[in-house]
Amino acid sequence: MINKLLNKPYRYFLIVIPVLLFVGFLIPLRNAKINPDLTRYLPQDTESKLNLEKIEETFGHNDPIIIIFESDDILNKSSLEKISAIQDSLTDSPVFSDVISIFATKNIRGDEGFMLVDPAIKSIPENDKEKEELRQEIKNNPLAYKLLISEDFRYAVMIINPEKGHSDSEIVSKTKETINKIWGSEKYYMSGMLYLREEIQQKAMRDLMILMPLALLVMILFLYFSFREKRGVVLPMLVVIISTGVSMGLMPLLGYEFSIIAVLVPILMISVANNYGVHIVSKYQELNAANPNDNMDALVTKSMKSVANPVLLTGLTTIAGVLGLIVHIMLPAKQTGIVCSIGIALALILSLYFLPAILIGMKKGKINKSFKENAKTFIDKLLVKAAHISVNKPKNVIIIFSLIFAISVIGIFRLNVSINNEKMMSKSHDIRKSTKIINEHFGGTKYISVLFEGDIKDPAVISEMDELEQLLKSKKQTGSVNSLSSIIKIMSKALNDVDDVAYNKIPDSREAIAQYIEFYNMSGDPEDFEKFVDFNYTQAVVSVQFRAENIKEFNSIILEIQQFCDKSEYAKYQAGISIVEKDMAMSIINGQIYSLALAMITIIILLWIIFKSFRTGLLGTVPLIFTITCNFGLMGWAGIELDIATSLLSSIAIGIGVDYTIHLFWRIKSEIENGKNITEAINICLTTTGRGIAINAISVILGFSVLFLSGILILKTFAFLIIFSLLLCLICALVLVPSILKIYPNIIAKKN
Amino acid sequence: MKKLIILIYTLTFLSMSLLNAQDAKEIVNNSTKAIMSDAMEMTSTLKIYDNKGNVRTRQVKNTTKKFGDATKTMIKFLSPADVQGTGMLIYDYEEKDDDMWVYLPSLKKTRRIVSSEKSSSFMGSEFSNSDMSKPKMSDYEYKLLGTETINGKEYYKIESTCKSPEIETSENFKRKIAYIEKVTYLPYKTETYDKDNKLIKTITMTDYRKQTNGKYMAYKMVAENNKNGRKSEIIITSFVTTSSLEENYFSTSNLEK
Repeated sequence: MINKLLNKPYRYFLIVIPVLLFVGFLIPLRNAKINPDLTRYLPQDTESKLNLEKIEETFGHNDPIIIIFESDDILNKSSLEKISAIQDSLTDSPVFSDVISIFATKNIRGDEGFMLVDPAIKSIPENDKEKEELRQEIKNNPLAYKLLISEDFRYAVMIINPEKGHSDSEIVSKTKETINKIWGSEKYYMSGMLYLREEIQQKAMRDLMILMPLALLVMILFLYFSFREKRGVVLPMLVVIISTGVSMGLMPLLGYEFSIIAVLVPILMISVANNYGVHIVSKYQELNAANPNDNMDALVTKSMKSVANPVLLTGLTTIAGVLGLIVHIMLPAKQTGIVCSIGIALALILSLYFLPAILIGMKKGKINKSFKENAKTFIDKLLVKAAHISVNKPKNVIIIFSLIFAISVIGIFRLNVSINNEKMMSKSHDIRKSTKIINEHFGGTKYISVLFEGDIKDPAVISEMDELEQLLKSKKQTGSVNSLSSIIKIMSKALNDVDDVAYNKIPDSREAIAQYIEFYNMSGDPEDFEKFVDFNYTQAVVSVQFRAENIKEFNSIILEIQQFCDKSEYAKYQAGISIVEKDMAMSIINGQIYSLALAMITIIILLWIIFKSFRTGLLGTVPLIFTITCNFGLMGWAGIELDIATSLLSSIAIGIGVDYTIHLFWRIKSEIENGKNITEAINICLTTTGRGIAINAISVILGFSVLFLSGILILKTFAFLIIFSLLLCLICALVLVPSILKIYPNIIAKKN
Repeated sequence: MKKLIILIYTLTFLSMSLLNAQDAKEIVNNSTKAIMSDAMEMTSTLKIYDNKGNVRTRQVKNTTKKFGDATKTMIKFLSPADVQGTGMLIYDYEEKDDDMWVYLPSLKKTRRIVSSEKSSSFMGSEFSNSDMSKPKMSDYEYKLLGTETINGKEYYKIESTCKSPEIETSENFKRKIAYIEKVTYLPYKTETYDKDNKLIKTITMTDYRKQTNGKYMAYKMVAENNKNGRKSEIIITSFVTTSSLEENYFSTSNLEK
């Protein structure tokens, strides 16, 4: 079939169609939609998501940008003037709904028969005396001190809530523009989920888009260095570029949105797609050296005859492996699985038809020096060494690999699920610094709301809210707790004198609470209450701000609140974006585990069918299990937290690992069938087929090392983990699998 | 000759626009005269609707009289039961900050409130405090935009624009358009626009009734907030002009009664 298609009239179609396909698929990319909000993809019945939606319906959506201004003394005239100007400018902008800072908060207090309601800053101090008076006032203002101004007066916080219907990038750029214009060159830091999303979206994606072509260039250079022939470069790379382009173009065409998970598409495609081409070119070179008198027709036909089957099988198993993502709970992961399988199928077809169609029309090339005696390249020497080790010291190899495996398993127990997405950025990034400041000087970056239901004006309900507030305040991670009960307490201090019974107390009658609230509505801003209680006073929230470095600290607060809700009559449930994000990370990780398990089973079955031996199928998964275990183990030891992106990278191991193994099995098996013993078969396989594997792996490794140039930590982590996975797959293929086969040759060769 | 024609045109145009400005201010003045009352006692029902149609209802008794440069107001809650008796006494001075006292029956105590912040909202409703008081004519530029016929009645459309950014900030709007009935000078509707020229609020005043002093009072006022979809209405259930009230009626001891 292949040979027939390679005849002239068909050949041109084989070349033109893929090129047209590529161009055609690039067009829909212009309409690609980027969706930065992954939580939307969580299944609708996820409890934390439902709870958050219910709370947001009543109390509004909360996704602010947080700004921290730094100054030697934030009460300096110039600093305060600037913050006030920024507050005014942002409040006036139609992009923002409300802006909270020291200039938008009140100072409510009581004094000998008076109740005073002032802005927290009545006027900007003109001299040192006024400044110190203001400092004292702020220290006594529970609505400002340590909430909006840090204890040491070096930092001031501004919380900016955007109006609905504006894009993240519009919100971030408008905020930055305003602050840069007014605050000038003094230090300020930005934080907030919205800002992080935008940073990852814009910078990480942009870096990836710039660095990917560079990665391809590095791969091209390496392939040229290895094959010493232009065709060795052009052909596999054409396959990579066309199939990657088409799979990316498929996303908008199928109506899929780009999310952080979709980043996996080009990474996986680039890692996998050149596999097939490299093996074909490598085989052609091998045959060219062995049969110097054959013409191109004969060489290409013979090459295809010999590699087409293993290439087809590697392609099919990779597709099966990647399709494991289809059972993933998260839609974008499913979509990635679908798009990548189609992309890999295309790469496979291109390698089997398009590539030989071009190759056959080329002039015969020179014999590669790898195949000449005494002129071995570095890779060739490496392969000989690998074969030597596998053949002579297989037991040592297995012991060493077992040790590494054991250490990795221990590492997995140290693995943490990330709850702080800002860790995707490097330590020097704005968002890491601001998080540190918020954790050290303000209440922390995690927010959770606890919903209370009942007659909110009932002293029993308010007292229970106060009880939760006191309980949480006693925990060292808690930064601030705010609710209707805290406002009522502030009012009880303002409306009563220190020696009054009612001072700093929740009133014990419903009337008194109703009157406090009504009074606040008359004199204050009724919107102040809307964050804490609904219009009909049947639902209220206690809002908790806290610090959590890791998932243990996070869970301890959640558990505390859960236990409170369980025994409380009025406290119903807790919700917060941070809980949804944690659930999402967990479901992506769990989903990935299911996907990997499914992929593994599919691969065992496929290998079992292909090699007609269950044991071969099992051995085929050894490199995969080893690579994935070491990958997660290394993350555990290196303190790299498991998150959406890092967990999905394990799919790459499936894609690549299985390819290497099949090529290896195929060749060793056919050498044994040709009458060679296992030692000879391993030696021949590693120096020929092994060459293709090594060239392929090293070119992809070098290509991805380009990502280290990015200033963004998550891309560096990406690169590190991808390279590590590829390297492990390579070592498994060149050393571990041959060593196992040396000891147990029966796995692959039937006893005669 | 040409120059003369231009001059005549210019003069005519100028005098017309002057006349225009004069007209606008006069219409507003006439309107104020037609409705304003310096002393009154009224009971009203205030209904505050949220954007989902939930409603809070309050019954309030409101007494106001002007003494010298101070307008003194006493507000008492009649219902709902849990806030009944809660009262507020306000001395609104033209030149200085207001004096304000609150009485909470549950505490059985009057507390003086010193606030440099005037709450923008009238008792937590969509009406602002400035909606409820007489505007300072000198703070605004007035312009007659034309006339419009609504339900067979002809109305002047008068635009009032804040004279300075400071006034804009303190009043929280840039301009208003008032619809004033041509014959009676009674205002029917006011539209409030913000800095970006977006309609933020519409107030309609209906059910005008003539009082004993010959002036009119709207017995129904509705404020619709175009920004958050909320609505508030005031329906006056009884109204009397009370020129006979003594100044000592507006005292803290009376607040506690």
